[in-house]
Amino acid sequence: MATRIGVDIGGTFTDLVYYDDETGETVEGKVPTVPHAPEEGVVAAVSGHVPRAVIEKAEFFLHGTTVGLNALLERRGAKVGLITTEGFRDVLEIRRGDRAEMYNLFWKQPEPLVARHLRLEVGERVRADGTVFRPLDEASVAPALKALMDERVDTIAICLINAYANPAHELRVEALLREGGFTGGISLSHKISGEYREYERTSTTVIDAFVRARMSNYLKRLDARLRELGFKGTSLITRSGSGSMTFTEAEERPFETIMSGPVAGAQGASEVAKMLGIEALITADVGGTSFDAALILNGEPQVLYEGTIDNMPIQTPWVDVRSIGSGGGSIAHIDVGGLMRVGPRSAGAAPGPACYGKGGTEPAMTDAAAFLGMLGPGRLASGITLDFAKAEAAIAPVAAAIGQEVEATATGILRIAASSMANAMREVSVEQGLDPRRMVLLPFGGAGPLMATLLADELKMTQIVVPPLAGNFSAWGLLGADMVQSAARTRIMDLGEEAVASANALLAALFADIAGRGEHGARETVLSARLDLRYKGQEHWLSVEVPLSGEAIAATAEEIAESFEAEYRRAFGGVMSEAIEIVSVRATLRAPLPRRGQSTRPAAEEGAEEETIPAYSFERKTRLPFRVVPRATIAAPLKGPAIITESTTTLYLDAEWTAATGAHGELVLTRSEA
Amino acid sequence: MIDRTPVTHRAGVARSGNAAEADPITTEVVRHALNSAANQMKRALVRTAFSPVIYEVLDFAVAIYDPQMRLLAQAPSLPMFMGTLNFCVEEAVKNVGGVDNLFPGDMIMYNWPYGTGSHPQDLAVVNPVYLEDGELIGYTAIKGHWLDIAGKDPYCTDTVDVFQEGTIYPGVKIYKRGELNDDIYRMVLANSRVPKFVAGDLNAQVVGCRVGAASFLDVVKRFGREEYRNAVEAMFDHGEKVVRSYFETIPDGRYVGHGEMDSNGITEDRIPFEVVVEIKGSDVTLDFSNVPETQGGPVNCPVPSTISASRVAISMLAGYGEAPHEGHFRAVEVVTRPGTMFHPLPPAPCFLYGWPALQAIEVIYNAIAKALPKAVPAQSGGCICSVVYWGTRAATGEPWADGSPHPTGQGAWDGGDGGTMLHISESATRFSPVEVWEAKNPWIVDRMALAQDSCGPGQWRGGPGIDFHFRMTEDTFITTAVERTKNEPWGLGGGGGGRPNGAAVRFADGRKVSVPKTTRFLVPKDAVVELSTGGGGGFGDPAARPKEAVEKDLKAGYISQSFARKHYPQAF
Repeated sequence: MATRIGVDIGGTFTDLVYYDDETGETVEGKVPTVPHAPEEGVVAAVSGHVPRAVIEKAEFFLHGTTVGLNALLERRGAKVGLITTEGFRDVLEIRRGDRAEMYNLFWKQPEPLVARHLRLEVGERVRADGTVFRPLDEASVAPALKALMDERVDTIAICLINAYANPAHELRVEALLREGGFTGGISLSHKISGEYREYERTSTTVIDAFVRARMSNYLKRLDARLRELGFKGTSLITRSGSGSMTFTEAEERPFETIMSGPVAGAQGASEVAKMLGIEALITADVGGTSFDAALILNGEPQVLYEGTIDNMPIQTPWVDVRSIGSGGGSIAHIDVGGLMRVGPRSAGAAPGPACYGKGGTEPAMTDAAAFLGMLGPGRLASGITLDFAKAEAAIAPVAAAIGQEVEATATGILRIAASSMANAMREVSVEQGLDPRRMVLLPFGGAGPLMATLLADELKMTQIVVPPLAGNFSAWGLLGADMVQSAARTRIMDLGEEAVASANALLAALFADIAGRGEHGARETVLSARLDLRYKGQEHWLSVEVPLSGEAIAATAEEIAESFEAEYRRAFGGVMSEAIEIVSVRATLRAPLPRRGQSTRPAAEEGAEEETIPAYSFERKTRLPFRVVPRATIAAPLKGPAIITESTTTLYLDAEWTAATGAHGELVLTRSEA
Repeated sequence: MIDRTPVTHRAGVARSGNAAEADPITTEVVRHALNSAANQMKRALVRTAFSPVIYEVLDFAVAIYDPQMRLLAQAPSLPMFMGTLNFCVEEAVKNVGGVDNLFPGDMIMYNWPYGTGSHPQDLAVVNPVYLEDGELIGYTAIKGHWLDIAGKDPYCTDTVDVFQEGTIYPGVKIYKRGELNDDIYRMVLANSRVPKFVAGDLNAQVVGCRVGAASFLDVVKRFGREEYRNAVEAMFDHGEKVVRSYFETIPDGRYVGHGEMDSNGITEDRIPFEVVVEIKGSDVTLDFSNVPETQGGPVNCPVPSTISASRVAISMLAGYGEAPHEGHFRAVEVVTRPGTMFHPLPPAPCFLYGWPALQAIEVIYNAIAKALPKAVPAQSGGCICSVVYWGTRAATGEPWADGSPHPTGQGAWDGGDGGTMLHISESATRFSPVEVWEAKNPWIVDRMALAQDSCGPGQWRGGPGIDFHFRMTEDTFITTAVERTKNEPWGLGGGGGGRPNGAAVRFADGRKVSVPKTTRFLVPKDAVVELSTGGGGGFGDPAARPKEAVEKDLKAGYISQSFARKHYPQAF
């Protein structure tokens, strides 16, 4: 076991959780996010909530941040030049031809990260099988370099067609750029991604070049500040595909962290699923502006290998977390046809919901919940006292517009929000051929526990597990992030013994590449490998884990085909009689962090006086007296209706539901049989 | 004697419940739930489909209908199929003997082009949905593009009747009370060049319909029949109100939009046509009755697609970006005349029905521009520029085939330069990356680049078109379906036209043959297929384009010096 500190930066709050190995305690804290200098928020959280002694003995600092993502979304990054194959300078602008908003006649593709005059071509051509069709015209490199240097680009991305199959030309162009005196960063597409699909690989490479400097500066600043506070351990940052990587590695491969925002929550959920032996679990992470849902099957989150940010694809593993624009801050409004809608616009952190009394006047979902008594008597742990009159005043105009009472309108706001969230969860489940009714719901995030019983009732789910530290769960999830490194390479070949041998050669190269990045030191490491396989003639593929012996595949082609077919049947409901081919080879190295203790059971508070408030019951469709109970005091099973409070979130327990504290500090909610 | 009197088509206005009884909250929740049910249906289809045409090109439609065949929800897929499945459902049910001859567990296959609106390759599976007490609550239906259904060629531009285009399933039960109808199933497999894919995709359609039925039933049960029905009526009324509120902003009048097809696929004669848009208050009539007679080649557009083209045009403008339902269509009536290009009668050929249909969408905008030029964009390249390839691999003797639509420049509008993407009728479709093509086809793509000076000039300029050069490394057959090669995409409000589309084959000896529409054309090894997709039309007077914008386009290379001097002298 090892003492560790986790800090997760969200849009509104920076959350902290630390685990002290000596006492076995897990402690949480929250500070406001500092948007212009996020590391200051981290420092405030650490210095304000973690004793110096704990900082000094901590072995790991685990970090979740959206710094890279924000740089991309706000287009605040490096000036990038792109060198590509003659005839292909417009790959980034032509994309794949689709529209992000299919019913929007006026939708237009966003400006590429590299303007056209900075996208230059060199004479060369490699074929899909790696053979050279046209040798590199070295004389064409110098004018491209000169043009980019005249434009004072910070960094250059080199993305040549079919470079995944043969990187020789990319490497040679890099050498020529250096010979020509270019000293800025260079990102090579075959090193960044190694997978085919030139638009996606170019996009990934350019994203990497664009965010690298900013990310690197941020990580350096943060690390220095942590050292000043006395931290002596290893600094790690979450990867989009789960697990973590060292700051040094993240400076080299920043694109691997871009989609890591909601990953820590999913990772925490896997840990809970494993701990409690839950086979199929679905998360409901409800924050201020967004709702994230992820499936955890047999203790593992679902990993995808290509994602999208702001309409730009990125070839990197990422945990499949689906988001919709619905959360505590979602605003209810009336559309042109006179119906009430909720979201996707959000009151955000400023002005925030009307009931926070910070100047908000539009009715947010939180206002509806406050008005209905679902948030309890009004003293939130974050120090805010709810202003019920302001909540009511905000809802009243919307109520008048649809001809309903404020009470009915407030319940309507919650019903509409809950139904969109439930629909998102239904769709994620159906995609895996699963029925949500047989799954366990894991709510977390500031407003997750508020919505838990509503969502379960919408989906006819009968089991909810509210994890410990539910309001800070993402930061808690960070603490379990093993160090992970991965690499992939596309090589399309018919599955057979010869192909397995080629895959082994590729794996050896990929593991060597990973080892070269290394900094996992003397830690024990676990290697794993996956093959992306498909039926010949198909476009979509499945990634199948293959057993390893050392760095080589310990399975015959026939055995691999069998596991592919088993997976195919599970995913698509049948198999084909076509031949199977390998598309890509994926190598992963995992250096597990030491296990941590799981005593997160909060200490019972003595003599807290119990109150009762009239809150709305969605089960009974009327107000009922709800007991207000601090979470820590629940010893015997507690029957709803009740409002269960804890320091960072409020749980709304409707009638028909019973809450009991489990062995690991989790609350298990069960619905009584109807 | 055929009755040639124009026919007026309206959306369903029947009532099954009482909108006044519905509460607005339940209405919104029901609307979400129905859309989600359609989305779940789509996800099940995409997850189980075998052919990329379904899961990558999204060449399908997925929808849920009520017993009056009114559209409850349609999942995002091919916009061209928007609001088209009700005709399939109606005809399929009628042809098997009506609702009285339908039973739980039945599934109908239907692809008669004059009822589906499509070519025979687009086959609909229709699934009646029942509550436990046997009440018919509606239908789930999926129309999907099958890779091959045994026409004269895998893809054709030169058919002269429907029988050359593919096998017809005029409404037959592939499942009877839950049991597979093996006789029909074997016929399906026997009538395709790629039976395995067809079997896989048919199965995916069946699975999708079943998943949709379960989700749909769940919605009805969650709210109870009466509350559900009331909410549905309120939902339709709301959608109608949304669309009408848009048309109230357009001045009353009769506006004529003009389009022109290059040819009918058999002869080279141009085919001009007009669509009249009449606006009265919030009522819109789209009148196709004055279009040319049915053509001798396959550019005839059966009524359901004439109507769906109209619905796409209207929903994109007035639907506020939302998924459509029957209510959105109520303000619109469509008039067609039997025996014409937009209302062909059997056995008129209609393999290329989509080409006049997709042009009609922009012709409707062309008409609306006459009322309110700022309401719509100028014309795009005006085509999906399709090329289909097939052959036999030299090394293995294995057959191969591929095909794709291609992006064109989009029209500029008041406030924005045009982009470059696929036609609005295929707005969610993606075309393949070059590296994917090259990994499986005997090709080298020499070039895929935005074409200089292809964008229509204007205060706002059109989006550039693209030059694609596909070098064949083995003998290959192609079918091309590229329209709007004879006319520039139109500009609006004083903006200029863009470059028209073009397709040609350049042989190794330098000879070049233009092939805008061709079927089974042999492209020998080392010859290059050159596809030059059109640029979007410009919007507004080019003299009003700011100097900085012109300089930026020059620096980027979208336009040349000479083009800039000619169209934007103010910048010099």
